[in-house]
Amino acid sequence: MLVPMRWLREYVTTDLSTEEIAHRLTMAGLEAESVTHIGDEWNNVYVGRVEEVEKHPDADRLVLATVAAGEHRSTVVTGAPNIRPGQTVALALVGARLIDGQTDDVRWMTLKSSTIRGVRSEGMVCSEKELGISEEHEGIMVLPSDAPVGAPLREYLGDDVIEFEITPNLVHAFSVIGIARELAAVVNASARAVLGADLATTPMDDTLVDIEDEDLCARYTLAIIENVTVGPSPEWMQRRLTAAGMRSVNNIVDISNYVMAEVGQPTHPFDADRLSGGRIIVRRAKPGESMVTIDHVERVLDEGMLVISDAEGAIGLAGVMGGVDSEVTDGTTRVLLESASFDPKTTRRTSRALKLASEASARYQRGVDPNLAWTALERFVALLREIDPAAKVTAVADAYPRPRGRSTVRMPYNEIERLLGMIVPMETVLDILGRLEFEVTVEDAVLGPLLVVSAPTYRSDINLPADVVEEVARIYGYDSLPERLPTGGAAPIRREPARLVDRVAQDALIVSGLQQVITYSMIADADLVALSPNRDHVPDLLGGYPRPESDYVRAVNPLRADWEIMRPTMLPSLLKIVAENLKYTDRVAIFETARTYQPVSLDELPEERRGAALALCGARHPVSWSVAERSELDFFDAKGTVETLLARVGASASSFTAVEHPSFHPGRCAAVSADGVQIGIVGEIHPRVAANFGVAHRVAMAELDLEGFASTLLATWRVKPVSRFQPIRQDFAVLVDQGVAVVDVREAIAAGGGPLITAVEPFDVYQGEGIPEGKKSLAFSVTMSAPDRQLAEHEVDRIRGKIEQNVRKRVGGTLRA
Amino acid sequence: MIDFTTDELLNRALTALEDAQTEEELTRWHRAVLGRSGTLNDALRALGSLPSEQRRERGQQLNGVKDQLEAAFAQRQDLARAAALDSRLRAESVDVTLPGRRQAVGNLHPIAAMAREVSDIFAHLGFQTIEGPEVELAEYSFDMLNIPKDHPARDVWDTIFIRSAGTEITLRPHTSPMQIRTMLQQEPPVRVIVPGRTYRYEAQDATHEWHFHQVEGLAVDRNITMADLRGTMAEFARQIFGSERKVRFRCDYFPFVEPGVDMSIDCPFCAGRGCRTCKQSGWIEISGAGMVHPNVLTNVGYDPTVYSGWAFGMGLDRLVMLKYNVQDIRLLYANDLRFLGQFNRARL
Repeated sequence: MLVPMRWLREYVTTDLSTEEIAHRLTMAGLEAESVTHIGDEWNNVYVGRVEEVEKHPDADRLVLATVAAGEHRSTVVTGAPNIRPGQTVALALVGARLIDGQTDDVRWMTLKSSTIRGVRSEGMVCSEKELGISEEHEGIMVLPSDAPVGAPLREYLGDDVIEFEITPNLVHAFSVIGIARELAAVVNASARAVLGADLATTPMDDTLVDIEDEDLCARYTLAIIENVTVGPSPEWMQRRLTAAGMRSVNNIVDISNYVMAEVGQPTHPFDADRLSGGRIIVRRAKPGESMVTIDHVERVLDEGMLVISDAEGAIGLAGVMGGVDSEVTDGTTRVLLESASFDPKTTRRTSRALKLASEASARYQRGVDPNLAWTALERFVALLREIDPAAKVTAVADAYPRPRGRSTVRMPYNEIERLLGMIVPMETVLDILGRLEFEVTVEDAVLGPLLVVSAPTYRSDINLPADVVEEVARIYGYDSLPERLPTGGAAPIRREPARLVDRVAQDALIVSGLQQVITYSMIADADLVALSPNRDHVPDLLGGYPRPESDYVRAVNPLRADWEIMRPTMLPSLLKIVAENLKYTDRVAIFETARTYQPVSLDELPEERRGAALALCGARHPVSWSVAERSELDFFDAKGTVETLLARVGASASSFTAVEHPSFHPGRCAAVSADGVQIGIVGEIHPRVAANFGVAHRVAMAELDLEGFASTLLATWRVKPVSRFQPIRQDFAVLVDQGVAVVDVREAIAAGGGPLITAVEPFDVYQGEGIPEGKKSLAFSVTMSAPDRQLAEHEVDRIRGKIEQNVRKRVGGTLRA
Repeated sequence: MIDFTTDELLNRALTALEDAQTEEELTRWHRAVLGRSGTLNDALRALGSLPSEQRRERGQQLNGVKDQLEAAFAQRQDLARAAALDSRLRAESVDVTLPGRRQAVGNLHPIAAMAREVSDIFAHLGFQTIEGPEVELAEYSFDMLNIPKDHPARDVWDTIFIRSAGTEITLRPHTSPMQIRTMLQQEPPVRVIVPGRTYRYEAQDATHEWHFHQVEGLAVDRNITMADLRGTMAEFARQIFGSERKVRFRCDYFPFVEPGVDMSIDCPFCAGRGCRTCKQSGWIEISGAGMVHPNVLTNVGYDPTVYSGWAFGMGLDRLVMLKYNVQDIRLLYANDLRFLGQFNRARL
C-alpha cells in the first residue's frame, strides 16, 4: 500500500523523518518496501500568481503571462489554453529540471531562457506532466487560491510516499489511519480520530436493506444521497489519490476510494435511480446467474458467491466489484452508498474463482472490522459535503444483526518471559498495550499476576496469549533480546543412514573426478520421448517398455511445459547439461544425486527414491603436455565409476549383465545388480538418443537406485590378514569361444585355485593372427599366495593344473603355452 | 720381457689408472693390470725364474703393489660411478614450471556443500538432520501449519499442485511440513533441521527460482524461548559468515509462528556500512523464524501451555549466494562447469 506522508502526518504528529518512520514501522512488522520522494527534482519551481495575460504580438495561439512569485517575477510565453489572470500556478524559472510535456516517454530537460516569435520567455508555467505529478499535459496545473505565493513548490506540493507490504494479518494497518495508529504506538504519540459527518438526525429506514445470509454479511450500512452533482474531484484529492496509486474517476468514486485508503473500509456508490424495488438484498448468487461488472466483463456466478441485488437481479459482487448497470455516471443525481462488511472466505473464493482482484477484495479477504462500516459512511458524507455542498443525505440504514464486541485474552504475565526469554517490566507491558489501544486489567493469581487483555475490534488478529506477547515484543523491540542457546537435553544425534548414502555416493563420485550438478526435478513428456531412439515409446529406466503417461507424477499447474513431470529418471536432465557444457569444453564428467518419483496411486504420495546418475563425455584426459593419448570416455569409464561407487556404499556382490535398452547402445549396455537385485543401468547412450538432446559425441551414462544401501552402509565387515610370504604371479593365456564372457573365465580361474588365489586380473583380449576363427585369447595375471607359508613349486603346478581343468570344464577354454 | 722394478710397475699402473675416466676404461685397465693375464700376474708368474732368496722379497713387494692398485682402483671406480650417475641425473632434469600431473577430482555442487556445512554446524548444536517428502499433502504444507483453506496467507506460497483424485497434493513450497511430520512422530524434546528441495509457482529472475532449496529448523521443549532462537541463529550466522556477525530480529508474519520475526545479519560485505549487496541498508535478511504457533502445537497434540518451541526457514541457495557473492540464482541451476569448477576449495 502506498502511503503519502502528508496524509499520514495529518493523523499523527511526529518529528521523525520519512526514512525514520519507514525504519521504525518496518522493525515493528509493517515492512516499508520503498520510499519515493515527489518533488525532489523541483529546483527553481515556485508557487506563483498570474498577474497579467496578454496576446502574443506575433502568434495567435500564444499568450504572454506575467507571473509573480515572491521576489521572482517573470514573463512567460505559453500556449496553455486554460491560463487566466489571478490563477495560482507552478512557475519554473531558468535552470529548473522538468519533464518534456510534448513527448510520450519521460524525458527530463533543463529549462533555458528562449525567444519565442521574438518575445523573450524567462520561465514556464508547468503542467502536471512537466512536474512528474501525473500524465496531464493539456493545460497548466492550477493550484488552490490559498497556495502560498512565492514559496518553493516542493515545500507546498512535495511529498514522500512509503510503500508498505501489508501481510495477511495486517488488515488493521491497511489504511492511512491504521498506519497512523501503528506509528503512534511506536513513537508513543496518539493518532487523531477521523472526522465524520453526524448522521444521528438523518432518518433511519431499515426497510432499505435485507441481509438474507447473515453469516456472509456481518453488517450492511447505506446512505441515500440526493441532489448529487457528479464532476471532477478537487485537485488536492486527485493528487493524494495519485500519490496513493489510484486513478481519479469522478468526485463520487474518488471520495469512495479516498475513504477506503484513509479508513480501510471499502464503500460502493450505486446510482440509486438505476436500482429497482427500492431495497438492497444481500444474498447468495443463484446457480447460473450472471452479471456484468464495471470492467464490462460478464461474470457467471455460483451459489458460493455473495451478491448485492435489487428487485431484478444482481447489481454487485459483494466485496469484489460493482455492476456496470448501476454504476455512477456523469448524469447520476441520486446515490446509494454501501458501506458493508462481507465474509473474508467468501470474498476470497469469489475473487479467485472469477480471477477478479480489487482493492476492496484485498481488504475484505483479510477481514474488515464491521464496526468500521458506519465510520466510513460518516466520513464519506463529511467529504461529500465539503466537495458538493448541495448534496443531501435523505435516509440511512444499518443492518447489523450481531454486533462485534472486543475479544478478551486471559494470560499469565509470565507468559511473556516464557516465550521471549526476557523480562519486560509490568509497567512497560501496560504502557505498550495501552498505546495500542488495548484495555488491560491485572488480576492476582496464585502463580503470579494475570493479564486480562481486551483488544480493539479492528484487531481480529489478537486471539491467543502468543498474539499479545508479539504485540509487546514488536513495540518493545527485539534489540534487547539476549542471545542464549537452548538448554536441556535432546535425543542423541544420529547420522541418518539414508542421508549418509547421499554423502558417500557424492564423495565416491567426486574422487572419481566427476562434478556434482543439481538439476530441476521436473521434466517434460518430450524429454522422456527423446530417450527413445525411434521416438515411439518411452523407456523405463531398467526395462525399456512403454508405459502409459498417467504413470508419472504430474503437476496440475506447471510453470512451463518443460517442467510437468516429477522425473522418473535423471538421464534427460544430465544429457541436457552435457549438451550445454560441450559448447565450452571437450570433456564433461558429471553426476547428480537426487530423488526419482514413482507414482503409487492418484490419492497417495509417490515413492521418492534416492539415486545417482552420471554422464561422461569427451576426452578421457584433459589436454596436457604429459598425456599424448587422446582417447574418448566410454562404457568402461562409466562402469569403473559405478564399481567404485558400489564398493563405497557397501554392495557386497555386484554384477553386470549385458542388456538391451532402447536408450542405450545395443552392444554397450549392462544391467547393474547388487546382491542379486537389479538396481540400475550403465552404458553408452544410443547415438540417436544423444542426438535428440543435441549431443553428437559418445556419452557413457549410468543411473542407480541407492535406496537399498541405507542398510548395508552401516553394516560392518571382516578384513583378512595379509600373508608375509612372497606372492607368486603368473600369466595365463586362455583360448575360448568369442561369445564367452570374460567374467566367466575369470571366475573359472578363481574357482580353480580356491583360496590360494588372491587376484585374477584380465590384461589382454586378443583376436586375429594366430588365433583360430571364432575364438579369442584372454590373458590373465594371477596372483597366488598362502597365508602361512611360501608356496612351493609343486603347489603352484597343482593350482595351474586345476585352473586348466576348470577353464576347460566351465568355459570350454584351453590354456595356451 | 721387460723387467720393471716393483716401484716402476706401481707408478706405471697408477699413471695408467689416472687416464682411465669412464667405467669402461677402468674395466680395461683392471683387465690389463690386475687381470689374470695382466701385468701384475705376469710379474708374479715370472717369480719362478728368480733365485729363491730374491723370489720371496719380490713376491712380497708385488703383493703389496697389488693391494695398493686394487685400493686405488676401487676408489677410482667409486668416483667414476658417482660421476656417471650425476651426469645421468643432470640429463634427466626437467622444467619444474610445467604443470604437475593431477588426477581429475570433481567438486560438490555449492548447494550440496552448503547443506553439509549447515547440517554439521547444527549437529554440533544438538540438532538431528532429517529429510522429508518433496511431494507433500496440502494438509501438511498448509492446513496443519495454521494456513487454512481460503485464507489469504496461502497466497504467500505460490504453489505447484500435483494431479490427484481428490486429496490435495502439493510440491512442498517450503520445508515446514516436516515440522508437522516430526512432531506427529515424536514427543518433545525435538531438535531437528531439514534441508531439501522446495518448489514455488514463481517466475524466474536473478533472485527467484521456482525450484530451490531450504533448510528448516525446529526446537521444541519446555522453556524454549525466543532468546534461544536468537542465540542459536547468531551462532550459526557467525560460523557461516564470520565471527564478528551481528544478528537482528524484526517483527514479521508467518502463519505458523507467533511471535514471528525475520532475521538479518549485518552485511558481511560492508560490515554494515551499506553497499550494493545489502541495498545500502547494512543488513541482509537470511531467515524467517519465530515461536511455533500455539495452533500448530495443538494440531500435533503438544500442549502449548507446557511446551514452547521455535522454528526457522532459510534459503540454502541464498546462503550460497551471500557467501560467495553469486549475483544470479539461475547460475546455481545452469550447471556450467566453468562456474561449478570454482567451488574447488575444501569445505570446513
